[in-house]
Amino acid sequence: MPLLEVKNVSFSYVKNKQTLKDVSFSVEKGEFLAIIGHNGSGKSTLAKLLNGLLKPNSGEIIVDGYSSSDKNAVFEIRKRVGMVFQNPDNQLIASIVEDDIAFGPENLGLPREEIGKRIDFALKAVGMQDFRKATPERLSGGQKQRIAIAGVLALMPQVLVLDESTAMLDPEGRKEIAEVVDNLREKGVAVIAITHYMEEAVKADKILVLDRGEIALSGTPKEVFAKKSELDALNLELPLAGIIADKLRARGLNIADDVVSDAELAGALWKLL
Amino acid sequence: MEITVKDLKFTYSAKTKSLAFRALKGVSVNIGEGEIFGIIGKTGSGKSTFIQHLNGLIKVQKDAGSIVIGEYDLTDKKCDYRSLRAKIGMMFQYPEHQLFAETVEGDVAFALKNFAPELSDGEIESRVKDALALTGLNYDLIKNSSPFDLSGGQKRRVAIAGVIVAKPEILILDEPAAGLDPKGKREFLELLLRLHKDFVKTIIIVSHDMNLVAEYCTNAAVFADGKILSCGTPKEIFSDKSLIEESGLNVPLTAFLVEKLKEKGVLIDCDLTVDGFIDGVCRALNLKGE
Amino acid sequence: MRDVSFGSYFPAKSFVHSMDARAKILIAIAYMVAVFLVSAFHFLGFAACLLFVIISTITAKVPFGLVLKSVKTIIFFVVFSAVLQLFFNRKGTVLFWIITDVGLLNAGFIIARIVLIVLGASLLTLTTSPVELADGIEGLLLPLKWIKFPVHEFALIMSIALRFIPTLIGETDRIIKAQKARGADFESGNIFKRAKALIPVLIPLLISSFRRADELADAMDSRCYAGSKNRTKYKKMRLTYRDLLGVLFVAGLIVGIVFLNKFYLLSGLSVIAGAL
Repeated sequence: MPLLEVKNVSFSYVKNKQTLKDVSFSVEKGEFLAIIGHNGSGKSTLAKLLNGLLKPNSGEIIVDGYSSSDKNAVFEIRKRVGMVFQNPDNQLIASIVEDDIAFGPENLGLPREEIGKRIDFALKAVGMQDFRKATPERLSGGQKQRIAIAGVLALMPQVLVLDESTAMLDPEGRKEIAEVVDNLREKGVAVIAITHYMEEAVKADKILVLDRGEIALSGTPKEVFAKKSELDALNLELPLAGIIADKLRARGLNIADDVVSDAELAGALWKLL
Repeated sequence: MEITVKDLKFTYSAKTKSLAFRALKGVSVNIGEGEIFGIIGKTGSGKSTFIQHLNGLIKVQKDAGSIVIGEYDLTDKKCDYRSLRAKIGMMFQYPEHQLFAETVEGDVAFALKNFAPELSDGEIESRVKDALALTGLNYDLIKNSSPFDLSGGQKRRVAIAGVIVAKPEILILDEPAAGLDPKGKREFLELLLRLHKDFVKTIIIVSHDMNLVAEYCTNAAVFADGKILSCGTPKEIFSDKSLIEESGLNVPLTAFLVEKLKEKGVLIDCDLTVDGFIDGVCRALNLKGE
Repeated sequence: MRDVSFGSYFPAKSFVHSMDARAKILIAIAYMVAVFLVSAFHFLGFAACLLFVIISTITAKVPFGLVLKSVKTIIFFVVFSAVLQLFFNRKGTVLFWIITDVGLLNAGFIIARIVLIVLGASLLTLTTSPVELADGIEGLLLPLKWIKFPVHEFALIMSIALRFIPTLIGETDRIIKAQKARGADFESGNIFKRAKALIPVLIPLLISSFRRADELADAMDSRCYAGSKNRTKYKKMRLTYRDLLGVLFVAGLIVGIVFLNKFYLLSGLSVIAGAL
């Protein structure tokens, strides 16, 4: 049984205008799923359905055996599916890092000693041990976002949903978050990243392409990015490495069809020259 | 208008010693007319403080260097900031920070009414119409909509229309493409190129996207810790990979590839735009063939 | 953005800084009661209060200049109150023009009282971070749970407000700059014109605040927030010998003043009653 299963989920904010239509997919333990799609394709709505911030109009979402249709299961689902949003400033609740991370465990009613341990664990997982007593205001964007992730990790989730969590960060901040994600996956946490950066999506195990609330394409990065004309029709682009590979091929160069990542392109050119 | 900045320094909370923070520690740079100038550097490197000096949002502190832009001397107390700001448009990262009016038309007209109160309603209407058309929006369809009901991409277009309506010669953009999907980003950058061919003579872009800088900028400056570490064409600044990485940045993909191939002994001499790189690769291949 | 220094907290490691916030708040309140207890014309009592402030300031390792700065901000209010007493007190004998001896003494009395109270309050905020202050208030309000007062929610609102003040100040600054860049003028014209000029700032700020609130609510829900029910608390406040010493110190002050007031005790209490 997969860790998280989305079964025929539909959702609409207003009548007669479906934001999501019959969406189905699943995520395994430790898997990295990227969800891409142009602005307004329903990505963020899907994210909010995953941990019960919104309820499907039809279909259901099952997380570790708990169903979204069970009213009493919403906290069990939220414990297992952690959400990190775009703007770290709007997710931090307290003015001191450790107090902020304690917020989730406090909500669960955990004893003091356990909360302390969870703060240690979460700060270590994001590499921010030295900032326990710091004020978020004084941290960089990447550091703030790592604290936001730590605040979610303190609930010991099995799935981490990143809703465009790197969109506001500088290259260093993006790198920091990428390292945290790698670290978590090693620990068996599944990651669902909603992103505009094709370079991030390339690193995923699986990509889901949303278009007007429906899954338009899905598969491994290589499978998805091989469908260039389909992506074009969906207003999406290849990662830059794929674009360059394409242009080189157009000039008659012998570059393999499945080159999508920076390292692959470097490898292909290495062989060629 | 040419921009000449000499040894610019700036300290926040200069009066309270314990809180004082030196954001700029002596920045000198020359930005010529016609350039698309990139400003890169990680958060807190002084980029924002620097660009806000250029249109007088932050005033040059006493004995802290000088800025001369065309006929404007920004260290001069009598400097006319209103007319300076009319000539130097600035758009911040989030369009939400400037949209306020009930209608798109009212919002776009805001700058014009401030800078040129003498214009007649008819003239204002035609200028607003032109500005919206330049951004690819249809005036008749959108003029009465609320700016808050628009999509993210449309909001950004209205926001830029609200800046270019004053026909600035210099346009400064802070993270112009952040948060846009790939297509939206490309369209927005094409819009900037169109403006650059039209009345905007100089564009200054602050960006975290090194690929964007390599593709579109004629020159760029690397900011770190309140100073400019290096300045030149993208090819020049990205050739020093260790300096770029020390500054908390990364190199664009094309520079990464050039570097990789150099390790193999293949030198590709090209500018760092995608097409330039491809030409370079083809040239190197031809040489190898011969 | 970095120009913004929020509150007047002066970070330092001192005896007073490491006291429990609850104790500090109570001591501050007791001190203010002491100031009010000083009955009319007993300026010796004020000297005792001033001594209390001076000793506290030294123990707190706070520069005197910072403590005095707080008085500067209310100087207008102090002068205004004193002037009222000077010109409108008709009791006593006329010294010159319309100024009476009672009026003069009353003016001095009022100046001393306001200044001493402000000094004490500023010492509290200088040595207690906003977060500690909020925690302290929550701790002190805890008994109100018995009468169903939503102490937890109240404390959460306070702490979120504290957390967002710097964020919103930064945002206001950016919006003002975005509109200035489009030629907005906030500095000239009469008060009505200036108020109107603020609309392009207030509307984006309002809309963005709503958006932030919305996102914050989602983030809180995502972290399993469900009100105060079954919630535990990580931070525990602990009273130490320091707090006991502080309480004894302020108790000494009150006893001293009461002693000085011996014959004026009743009038002193009536002053408190009047103040309440």
